[in-house]
Amino acid sequence: MANGNSPQTTAQSSSLVDVLETVLDKGVVIAGDIRVGIADVELLSIKIRLIVASVDKAKEIGMDWWETDPYLNSQAAMQEQDKLKEENQMLLERLEKLEGKMADDSRLP
Amino acid sequence: MEKLIYLYGIIPAEENDSSPLPSLKGLDGESEVYSIPFGEIEAVVCELDAAEYGEKELEKKTNDANWLHQKAFHHHEALMKLYEKYPIIPMKFGTIYSGAESLKNTIDSHKPNMIELLDGITDKEEWIMKIYCEADKVKDAVAGHNETIETKKEEIASMSPGRQYLEKRKLNQLIDQEAEKEKQTFSEKIHDELAALSVDNEVKKNWNKDVTGRVEEMCWNSVYLLEKSAVEDFISVIKKLQEKWTESGWQIEVTGPWPSYHFAKIS
Repeated sequence: MANGNSPQTTAQSSSLVDVLETVLDKGVVIAGDIRVGIADVELLSIKIRLIVASVDKAKEIGMDWWETDPYLNSQAAMQEQDKLKEENQMLLERLEKLEGKMADDSRLP
Repeated sequence: MEKLIYLYGIIPAEENDSSPLPSLKGLDGESEVYSIPFGEIEAVVCELDAAEYGEKELEKKTNDANWLHQKAFHHHEALMKLYEKYPIIPMKFGTIYSGAESLKNTIDSHKPNMIELLDGITDKEEWIMKIYCEADKVKDAVAGHNETIETKKEEIASMSPGRQYLEKRKLNQLIDQEAEKEKQTFSEKIHDELAALSVDNEVKKNWNKDVTGRVEEMCWNSVYLLEKSAVEDFISVIKKLQEKWTESGWQIEVTGPWPSYHFAKIS
C-alpha cells in the first residue's frame, strides 16, 4: 500500500483534491514533536496533477514524455492563449473607453 | 536511538477489544500499524526511524510532491480502513512524536476531550458535496431568462447602430455578472436544503480549474456532518437534484463517508 501502488494514484483529479485538502489541511491537530511543513494545498495539487498526468501519458504512449508530453505542451499553449486573451481584453476595454469618450464628445454642442 | 511514533488516530478501546486492528503497513511501508492503549481510548500508530523521519529529513521529503502524494494517500487509506471498523478521531497528516513517553503525555492531556469527541462522532458520518457547472450553459440560460437582461436587450434594440456596439459589450459584462450571481444563488439553495439534514456543516473553498483539472467550474464545495439515520435521505435528495439539474449544466457530486476530518476538533 505504501509502496507507491496506492490505487488512487491515478484516480480522478477530484478525489486527489478531496484527499489532499482533507488530509493535509484538516484532521485533528494536536501538537506533535516533529514539525512538518506542508506546501500550499493548491500548488501541491497542481504539481501532483502534472506529475500524475505525465506518468500516465508516458505509460500510455511509452515515450519520453518530458520532451513530447502534449499535456505539458498544451498547458503551455493554453497559458500563451490566456495571455493573448488578457491582452486582447485590455485592448478592447481601452478601445471601448476611447469610443465612449468620442461618443460623449460628439454630443457636446 | 528511540523510534519515532507516527499517530494516525484515536479509537475507543472497547471497539478494538471486540474487533482486532486490520493488518496495515506503516508510513515507511515496512513497519506495522499497531495500537497503544490509554485506558478508554487507544492510539493507532506506527514506528518510524528517527534518522529517516527527523525534522530535517522530513522537510526534504515533504518538498517532494511525489513523496507527499504517496504518503498523504497512505495516511488517508489507513484511516479509511480503520474507519470501516471503528469510530476514529483522524489526525492531520504528519503528527509525529519523539517517543512513547511524549505520545503518552499528549494523549493524557487531551483524553477527556477525546473520549467526548469519540462519543460525539460515533453515530455520524461526514460527507462532502461539490457543485461543478458548465459555465457556458449557465451563461446561456441567464442570457435567455433573466429579466434585467431582457429589459436591457429591449433598450439596446431601440438605439442607434453606433451605440448598440458599445451597449452590447456592456450587456455581455452584465450577463457575466448575472451568471456569477446565479451560480452563487443556485448553490446556496442546494446547500441550504442539505444543511437542513445535517448536524453541522462547513462551506469550503472553491478550487480553480488548475487544481481540479476539470473543464467544468467548481462553484460550491462544502462538507456535512450527518446522523447515520439521515444519510439515506441525504443521498436521495442528492439523487433527485442530480436528475433535475444535470441537463442544465450543473454537476452535483457527493463523496463519503469520510472519517470526521472536518468536524472532529480538539482545542
